[in-house]
Amino acid sequence: MDPQTQMDISNLSEADKKDLSQILQNESQKTTIQQSVHQLSDICFKKCIAGRPITSGALDRSEEACAENCVQRWMDTQTSIITKLQNMRG
Amino acid sequence: MSMFGSGSSTSPAAPKSSADVKASIVQQLQQEAAMNNARLLIEKINENCFDACIPAPGSSMSSQESGCVSSCMDKYIQLWNISSKTYISRLGQEQKRMA
Repeated sequence: MDPQTQMDISNLSEADKKDLSQILQNESQKTTIQQSVHQLSDICFKKCIAGRPITSGALDRSEEACAENCVQRWMDTQTSIITKLQNMRG
Repeated sequence: MSMFGSGSSTSPAAPKSSADVKASIVQQLQQEAAMNNARLLIEKINENCFDACIPAPGSSMSSQESGCVSSCMDKYIQLWNISSKTYISRLGQEQKRMA
């Protein structure tokens, strides 16, 4: 942060500070979701597309279905891990 | 570092009012978020399509290879959109179940 920006921040009103903190929280949540989507796309591309030669620029029906199932089953996996861990703790 | 030019030096004249400061912070925040998102997408496409299309790197890129990269990129983006839609709708369902 350069000193100029730090000076600017002191000009912020209380209402704007509150507003900014809310905006920051929203952006941060958006970023977390986006990163999960990147991670899932990476995983599901490897599961559903990789391994066969790429002959067209469009997903075929089975690839589309695979991508959707891949995300759903990945989340099922996550849920079942969390459930099992909770049971082990309890 | 920055592939798309410098996004950081947007304000040569320092904004004064609270609203101006807020607007410039929000703008910079969103710019950086968008840049980060694009950077991640490029990185993943590069990795996956390089794997898929260039199994044995030659002394130059063949037209077949660059065609493959182009198709692969189209596929990746479509898959990204499906992942995004599916993930977000599932998040919504989970949230409803919790409530």
